[in-house]
Amino acid sequence: MATENHGTVETTEAPAHESGGLPQLQFEHWGGQIVWLLLIFAVLYVVLSKGLLPRVSGAIDERGAKIAGDIADARRLKDEAEVQARAAAAEVAEARAKAQKTAADAKAKASAQAAERQAKEEAVLAEKLAAAEASITTARDEAMSHVRTVAEETAGAIVEKLTGKTASAAELKAALA
Amino acid sequence: MADPMHQFQIQKIVELPTVTVPGLGAIDLSITNSVFAMLLAATLIVVFYAAAARKAVVPGRLQTVGEMLYGLVDGLAESIIGHDGKKFLPFVFTLFAFVLFMNLQGMFLVFTATSQLAVTLTLGIMVILTVIGVGFAKNGIKFFKLFAPSGVPWPLYFLLVPIEILSFLIRPITLGLRLFGNMLGGHVVLKIFAGFVVALGGLGVLGWAGAALALSSVIALTALEFMVAFLQAFVFAVLTCVYLNDVVHLDSH
Repeated sequence: MATENHGTVETTEAPAHESGGLPQLQFEHWGGQIVWLLLIFAVLYVVLSKGLLPRVSGAIDERGAKIAGDIADARRLKDEAEVQARAAAAEVAEARAKAQKTAADAKAKASAQAAERQAKEEAVLAEKLAAAEASITTARDEAMSHVRTVAEETAGAIVEKLTGKTASAAELKAALA
Repeated sequence: MADPMHQFQIQKIVELPTVTVPGLGAIDLSITNSVFAMLLAATLIVVFYAAAARKAVVPGRLQTVGEMLYGLVDGLAESIIGHDGKKFLPFVFTLFAFVLFMNLQGMFLVFTATSQLAVTLTLGIMVILTVIGVGFAKNGIKFFKLFAPSGVPWPLYFLLVPIEILSFLIRPITLGLRLFGNMLGGHVVLKIFAGFVVALGGLGVLGWAGAALALSSVIALTALEFMVAFLQAFVFAVLTCVYLNDVVHLDSH
């Protein structure tokens, strides 16, 4: 049987067969091609589906997951940074308010102290002024009393010189009143 | 001129014993140029993907191409079959890659396995047997609803059911013939125009102009054939997805 088949295969390559239509329609070659095709396809299918394609899809999925993860990370970090920036801004505002308050307090304290000191100085000055005024008044009163005495004496002397008579103190006092 | 059909001649490379299967007759298992082309295509796919399937997050050139082809078929299965497409992805991808590599191999080597009717018809029948198998596994006896679309007045079924059955049975033949015809036609035309270049070139100065014209046609046709090689593999994968979708989503049929 085998040798018989060999014979037919050999003759197909002769020119007589080649001119007889399409070489694809030499059916004695179909069996081998079909068997080999099924075999090769089955092996290829197993190798691809069990071995190589999962690796390819794994790499693609991994890349997708990595990109998604990286984006999520970046988003999270951005949110974190925003929160921190907001906290920092709040801190700055608080510090500024504190500083302003401290400055205002210091200013108020300083102005209060200044006012107090001024009031004290003023009191001292007023006291001194009052004392001076009092001494002036006493001095003037004293001077005024001296003026009366001087006038009485002057009047007495004038009267004595003009009249030659001595006027009594009571008469002088009455005349000057 | 060289015989443009000679390129399709099956030739033995390694003699192997013939096996006799009862009922089928003798099957010559010798490694022919056709078998060699298939073996080479499968080997190249495995070598290519062994090199391309890396875990690198930032892919290199090879990995990018590998993932692009995978993504192409993945998107195809996903968009046509929907969520269930993932299950059939390895099958569709194997078909796509195998046909694509055999087609492209024909552009570089002297023999194109997909220009053999035995190969393309077997692929077509394999697809349709898979479709039938999936259809029965998924729908049981309801699989036959595929031939009786709903929403039709019942007298029409007398006309519709035979048409549907016929169109279903003709699918493997159209699948196989489409691929076979494209590959056969392309390579024959290439060979004939290339033959013109030689034949006209031998005619002297006047013939050179014709030879140059024929040569430019060969260049243009070669570019076209590269496109056809890719396109036919793609069409094969698309139709496989469409046929699978028919039986996966039988309820919405």
